[in-house]
Amino acid sequence: MELLIKNGAVFDPVNGIKGDKTDISIKDGKIVNNVSSRATVIDAGGRLVMAGGVDAHSHIAGAKVNVGRIMRPEDTRSGIKPRTKITRPWTGYTVPNVYAMGYRYAQMGYTTVFEAAQAIMKARHTHEELEEIPIIDKGALTLFGSNWPTMDYVREKDMDKLAAYVAWGLLASRGFGIKVVNPGGGEMWGFGKNVTSLDDVVPNFDVTPREIIVSLMKVNEMLGLPHSVHLHCNNLGKPGNYTTTLASMELAKQVKPSRDRQVLHVTHLTFNVWGGTNWGDFESKADEIANYLNNSENITTDMGQLIFGSATTMTADGPVQYANAKLLHAKWANGDVELEDASGVVPIYYVKQISVHAIMWAMGLELALLTKDPFKVLLTTDHPNGGPFVNYPEVVTLLMSNKKRQEEIKTLHEAVHKRTKIPGIDRELGWSEIAAMTRAGPAKVLGLLDTKGHLGVGADADISVFDIKPDQVDPSVEHAKVKSALSSAAYTIKGGEVVVKDGQITATPMGRTYWVDASVPAEHTEIMMKDIRMKFKNYYSINLANYMVQDAYLTHPQVVKAGVIPVEVR
Amino acid sequence: MQTVTLKPKKEMKISVEVENITPDRFAGKSEKEIQAIEAWMGNQKTTLGDLFSVKVEGSGTAADTKIVMEGDLSRVKRIGEGMTAGLIIIKGNVDMHLGAKMNGGKITVSGNADSWAGREMKGGEIIIEGDAGYYLGGGARGETCGMRGGKITVMGSALDYVGDHMCGGEIVVKGNAGILPGLSNNGGKIVIEGNTSRPGSEMVKGTIIVNGTVEEMMPVFKLEGSEAVDGVTYRKYTGDVIVSGKGLLYVK
Ligand SMILES: [Zn+2]
Repeated sequence: MELLIKNGAVFDPVNGIKGDKTDISIKDGKIVNNVSSRATVIDAGGRLVMAGGVDAHSHIAGAKVNVGRIMRPEDTRSGIKPRTKITRPWTGYTVPNVYAMGYRYAQMGYTTVFEAAQAIMKARHTHEELEEIPIIDKGALTLFGSNWPTMDYVREKDMDKLAAYVAWGLLASRGFGIKVVNPGGGEMWGFGKNVTSLDDVVPNFDVTPREIIVSLMKVNEMLGLPHSVHLHCNNLGKPGNYTTTLASMELAKQVKPSRDRQVLHVTHLTFNVWGGTNWGDFESKADEIANYLNNSENITTDMGQLIFGSATTMTADGPVQYANAKLLHAKWANGDVELEDASGVVPIYYVKQISVHAIMWAMGLELALLTKDPFKVLLTTDHPNGGPFVNYPEVVTLLMSNKKRQEEIKTLHEAVHKRTKIPGIDRELGWSEIAAMTRAGPAKVLGLLDTKGHLGVGADADISVFDIKPDQVDPSVEHAKVKSALSSAAYTIKGGEVVVKDGQITATPMGRTYWVDASVPAEHTEIMMKDIRMKFKNYYSINLANYMVQDAYLTHPQVVKAGVIPVEVR
Repeated sequence: MQTVTLKPKKEMKISVEVENITPDRFAGKSEKEIQAIEAWMGNQKTTLGDLFSVKVEGSGTAADTKIVMEGDLSRVKRIGEGMTAGLIIIKGNVDMHLGAKMNGGKITVSGNADSWAGREMKGGEIIIEGDAGYYLGGGARGETCGMRGGKITVMGSALDYVGDHMCGGEIVVKGNAGILPGLSNNGGKIVIEGNTSRPGSEMVKGTIIVNGTVEEMMPVFKLEGSEAVDGVTYRKYTGDVIVSGKGLLYVK
């Protein structure tokens, strides 16, 4: 199978291509130097060509997502498309059905998406859903921040056992990396409490969030995992939390990255760059965070951009969701994952004339526009917390057009003028920067830059072509045209196969599921497993044998090797 | 003035969905045009002409259009959905979702209406001369608001959850109502002439008046003494206190 994409206006920051007319050759699902004359030719005709989109933080599968579906049957009333010969039915907006997840990402030219939080105990559910999401490649980050074994080993300062536990946890959950959500808070929530600073002591475990974060960063680098620790900070959702965010970022200085990437990814900053002391004096401190990012080298972030309208907040941060439900008088689902974490799901409707929502809308944009290096701020909406991922084209146009931002600001609560910097920011991003925030950046952050996020030889043939000619359309002015083109790719090519043409799904191959097989010395695993077996005997409600995700759950696995002992590829 | 008369051509064992039977859709249209309007029987797409004989007399705007439906309509759903004006007269029983999302005009039913009559209704009037099913004037699953405006009158009785999640408008049930009328009431008025049980649970705003017997009171209301409404003396309660509700519940 050979394919040649001719005459594309290619934007590929990894390979230094900035809109030059470039041909892309594809053979057997990979990008190659050249193809034979028998190759099928797609004439891009000067239209925008980028690598397939990569999303490093979205909630697309698992227990929380499904709780969202169950508690929001009204969400299913929108977005309905009947099945066709090729596609199964689509439903929903904030919590789409599994099929719509894959189709809608592909329609926007995205080909790789990572679920940002799965508890090991719930991982079978995550993979059952991932197995049904068509087209895109995917993976899931595994929660470790409030797990009993994590906190035990952090207290004992036993990094070997902690590394063994992380490696085993990734195997047990077929997970891709370490996710930490409100470290310590998930355990405290079991007692109706929360942690409020990096130095609060978690009762019964005698550890602090600071120790948990630093220990997991150390272990992450000991194991040489492709991704870094992925942190949802303490105090999320509380005015004034930007100081906690800055203090958490400071911790990255204590650990050296083992690979060419960040040592800490701090996620969905729209929810943790909050100034003020209450809802009355609530204000944006995104500028201070951007300033910090501009002066540090080993931290990355993502926007978690707010989108006005319906959203469904879902997180392993149980206590923040209780506070949200009380504040909003909204529906509330609460989850307890035994020895591992908590969780909560609460629907929300973001309103332009509510001051807090208008300020939050500005935060993600300020962060992206005030941070100089686009590789440090990924484009996300923390789907569906800030809003559904189908709004990425809206976010791109807000970043590319000051005119659009000013038009939008006119419709917002006046607080956006006094409590944020956004009205005075005139920076407009270009296509190279957008390609960094949506392709190369997330791929680098995930540690997958060898095959994802760029169009160089050897990369996966995941490519998006959009019906817009960069040399003829000025995104600053014609933002509506850009939004419509990005919402409906002219072509999405996944692994060398055309899966979308003119915005319509044309093929639905199954994507692969990435997970990390990290090896540790066998004796470390052995002594760690003694503790784990004891915990299953005494505390877990299920048997160890019913806990692990088995191979049968992953029909298209993509194993990435890592570990403290260098291992030969099998 | 335009009058459109629809009679089922065949026995409908499988339910049909006819959200296009509204004065708004029929106004100014010929028999042929109305016959061609889309409808669904189960999972099969069909037309109104396939399901009903259609007779049109005169022509007019939506407000000037009267639709008369006669025969066995007990499997016909969504009549009058979203209508904004005009009149629908139904001689017989109808299936679920009568007048859902209706915004104006009037529907009368000589027989019974199945569940969700007046679902998410915003305006206009529905009169049901027989009985109503569950969720009269209620909300769709998961939504925060059911009926927001308009009036529904049931001459017979209604089943459970009358006015579920109601945010406005008025419902009058002349007979009895099943359990939990006004569940999560958020601003509507419900009058039940007969008996009911457990009214007003999770009520935040709005008014419920029960003239018959309340078989069981929820223990979440605060007795505020007695008060006369339209010359009748009631025990006045406020609640649901669990949700800091300011709803009014009047019980004889
Ligand atoms: Zn998230």
